[in-house]
Amino acid sequence: MSLIDWHEEYSVGIASVDHEHREMINLINAVYDNLSSNASKDQIEAFLGEIYTKISAHFALEEKIMKAKAYDEYEGHKEDHERLLDEIRDIMDFYETDDYFSDKDLADQLERWFSEHFRTRDARLHKHLG
Amino acid sequence: MIQLLRYTSQLLLYGAFIVTIGYASTAPTHTHIGDNKAVIKLTLKHAGQRLEACRQLSEEEQARLAPNMRVKEVCPRERSPVKLELLIDGELMYSATLTPGGLSRDGNSNTYQRFVVPAGKHALLARLNDDVHVKGFNYEKEQDITLSPLQIFVIDFRTDSDGFIFN
Amino acid sequence: MLNWLRLSGRYLFEHLEAVFNVSFGDRYNPFYYLGSLAFFFFWIVAVSGLYLYAFFETSMLGAYSSIEYLTVDQWYLGGVFRSLHRYASDAMVITMGLHMLRELVMDRYRGVRWFSWFTGIPLIWLVYASGIGGYWLVWDQMAQYIAVMTSEWLDWLPIINEPMARNFINQASLSDRFFSLLAFLHIGIPLMLLLVMWIHIQRLSNPRTNPPRVLMVGSILAMLVLSLIKPAVSQAPANLDLSVSTIDIDWFYLFVYPLMEKTSAGTLWILASAISLFLALLPWMPPLLRKPAVVVNLDNCNGCERCYEDCPYSAITMEPRSDGLDFEKQAMVQDSMCISCGLCVGACPTATPFRRKTDLIPGIELPDHPLKALREAIIEQTATLEGDQRVLLMGCDYGVNLDKVALPGVVAIKLPCVAALPPSFLDFVISRKHADGVLLTGCHAGDCHERFGIEWLEQRLAGKRDPMLRKRVPRERIVTFWAGEEGGRKLLAEVSRFQQDLAVLGPYTPPQSDVRRRASGTEESA
Repeated sequence: MSLIDWHEEYSVGIASVDHEHREMINLINAVYDNLSSNASKDQIEAFLGEIYTKISAHFALEEKIMKAKAYDEYEGHKEDHERLLDEIRDIMDFYETDDYFSDKDLADQLERWFSEHFRTRDARLHKHLG
Repeated sequence: MIQLLRYTSQLLLYGAFIVTIGYASTAPTHTHIGDNKAVIKLTLKHAGQRLEACRQLSEEEQARLAPNMRVKEVCPRERSPVKLELLIDGELMYSATLTPGGLSRDGNSNTYQRFVVPAGKHALLARLNDDVHVKGFNYEKEQDITLSPLQIFVIDFRTDSDGFIFN
Repeated sequence: MLNWLRLSGRYLFEHLEAVFNVSFGDRYNPFYYLGSLAFFFFWIVAVSGLYLYAFFETSMLGAYSSIEYLTVDQWYLGGVFRSLHRYASDAMVITMGLHMLRELVMDRYRGVRWFSWFTGIPLIWLVYASGIGGYWLVWDQMAQYIAVMTSEWLDWLPIINEPMARNFINQASLSDRFFSLLAFLHIGIPLMLLLVMWIHIQRLSNPRTNPPRVLMVGSILAMLVLSLIKPAVSQAPANLDLSVSTIDIDWFYLFVYPLMEKTSAGTLWILASAISLFLALLPWMPPLLRKPAVVVNLDNCNGCERCYEDCPYSAITMEPRSDGLDFEKQAMVQDSMCISCGLCVGACPTATPFRRKTDLIPGIELPDHPLKALREAIIEQTATLEGDQRVLLMGCDYGVNLDKVALPGVVAIKLPCVAALPPSFLDFVISRKHADGVLLTGCHAGDCHERFGIEWLEQRLAGKRDPMLRKRVPRERIVTFWAGEEGGRKLLAEVSRFQQDLAVLGPYTPPQSDVRRRASGTEESA
């Protein structure tokens, strides 16, 4: 059972970015799967770390594309990126110290974030680069 | 206060830099030759005589050549080395055999020598041999000269002026 | 033996530079900008030269008189330009010489860096040919001396049969056309010089050809002051019928002629050639320097170009994808140009210790400093620390010597360049409480051995350059201390001060966040 499903409106029109969005969603679903079957704390930490890494790399690529095309809303978009990464770090730290982890919370947060960010920021990016 | 000290020290360091440049760009004075000395320059740019005389080509030899290359006379290119000697006040200052230049040794024999001597009277003797077939020296010149301080005296050679030129 | 010479030389430079650091500050120390200062003096010479050229007459009598006109009648403009032209040329010899010595003692001439060193050797010849040619144009006594000596020197080579010195036999032998030739050479050779200067900086990214503005202003003012206090003048006019006796030579350029007089033309040739050959071959003298280049791991590279932007030596290029993945580009390393500094590793977004230990292979990595090993070393070594003021000291191969650091509550780890550390590691150390604070140290500010390490790291910490240190990491727990190799004693004081600050801060607490709030809300309601 997957946490997030891919929707066509998530497509930004740039093959590499779409590829990474798809990969991220697959990875997140894999995390969710693992959690459901009682993974160890180590494994969950590792997977959270992997999500964090993949998303960081993806944002780096997106930011490079935005800078290359002199995108006018670069600053705001980058702020969003930094905010999400901070939230993921919060989840990671909270899990590590308090042993508290709610898969539902994570799912909700990511789903919300994805649809919102994709719907607004990335869609505008797609239109402007169009 | 610290700022003032820093600026002052920078000023001093820049100062040291320009003092170094200012000084070493003209000092210390270098003495090339003392002002009681004079200079004799011996130079030569002269082609020695041909080693072999020119010879006429016979009728058959001419016929063998292509029509556009038929010449009556053939002159072998190689030239004689030039033997050159200079004596100043009886002392042999320079003695050399100068090979003609060029791959076929048919060019000029060259030399340039600079001698620093005290100013005043000197006896000069220059002689050369530009033909191996001649024994000894076939050009010679002797002269007493008086050199003023720092004067440059040139000894050159030209066949059309009948040999050595003392300047 | 060479190693010992280099280390003693480095010691001398470091102590001389310490004086200049107090005066100029270590971000504006002229010793850290010798190459760009040489460039700057070149521009002063070129611009002043253009002005002089407009007035120069290419004839035996006109040469001297046209320069006299500028020096005497137009002393306020032409004369100043002439002096600037001369003194900036001298300054260029000084900065070029110091630059060469410094790169030698800082060990920046071997291995991959051979190209920069090697292309510098012809620059010495070109600078000297330009300077000597310039003095020749004046056609005063000094120029006559140069003419006779240079032609005798060149005549020693058996290349051309007719002696060049015959052209300077007496007044009658020289023609005006010779001055046209000299003027042409004095433009052509400096142009060649500029071309080779351009080649010399080819393997550097963002080559610094301008020194910091304060140094530019200071230098040109210094040159102007010197030009006004001691204007450059000609000596008596040349007369080929009379020998030159005493001359006020410019020792920066013309020391070669008294040297030739003391020895011989042949000796000067042999000395110049032998020294040039020796210098040119230095990069290949044992011990050879060869560190393994960084390696790209395509599974972790999406072509984000952060490594490409951060490489100081143009060793990384972005190429079309070769593994069939949907990304447009991939990073590619030119092994022959990689210094193995690791700045690219510090820039890679996948170089983060939060990853699964077995998966910690970043998109680009130093084979002899794998990130996995760094993560383990940090965890292991900091585990030995106790108390509330635990400091992780991170430094580099060229800065403060960390081997000698033995302080309570401190462990030290070295990297090739401190900027090879991805900022994510700082986040990791603080948030996982491996240490209470991290002290980053290295070379003097303004003198990073790998050119941009200090700049990039400071920008990453300040949030001005990607990858940025996350804002949630408390900046009071990350400090930098740039002090170079001789900063050992000051480092101890800095560490104590840092530990006192950490004691006041207390243990690390994670920042307030929505996650925490939601969690407490859930717990309460459950």
